[in-house]
Amino acid sequence: MKQSLGRQSGVQTVEVSLIDGKVDVTPKEDGQIDPAQLLKATYDSGVSVAELDMTARGKIVKDSLGNFVLQIAPNRSFVLAPNELSKGLEPLVDSPTLVTVRGQLYKKPAGKKKADASAPLKLLILEVQKKE
Amino acid sequence: MNTKRVAMLLLLGSMVVVPVAQAQIKHIEMRVEGMT
Repeated sequence: MKQSLGRQSGVQTVEVSLIDGKVDVTPKEDGQIDPAQLLKATYDSGVSVAELDMTARGKIVKDSLGNFVLQIAPNRSFVLAPNELSKGLEPLVDSPTLVTVRGQLYKKPAGKKKADASAPLKLLILEVQKKE
Repeated sequence: MNTKRVAMLLLLGSMVVVPVAQAQIKHIEMRVEGMT
């Protein structure tokens, strides 16, 4: 799995802890990393993902469907799952302010052995770390 | 002469590189099951 993840575009380093089942991925600064691709690659290597968290910096914008999204690049954005923290970021829509957030992009549904890794990922904000 | 020095200092001061915050994914962490 470590090799498989390390081959994904935009991945700089992969650290695996067998004891607590934790995988840390450090992206390159080229912005090419795709969390959905990492999720798929992990499943394809025969390992089940229980949870995927991400720390990212981006702008809050509204997409064509009216969803609030965290935009990392013109072609890379994540729809925000509504919660108190995401509501607090709504006034920043279309402002140049960059926000750094930690959030949950994926959680395996309870009771299912294998989840649909191809389902669109929503970012549930767990912590707003910085506004700049 | 002094004016020239001051102007030069101002010019150099304005060229100090300030790190610009960039939008990016900084870290990804997964909790996995079934790993051997």
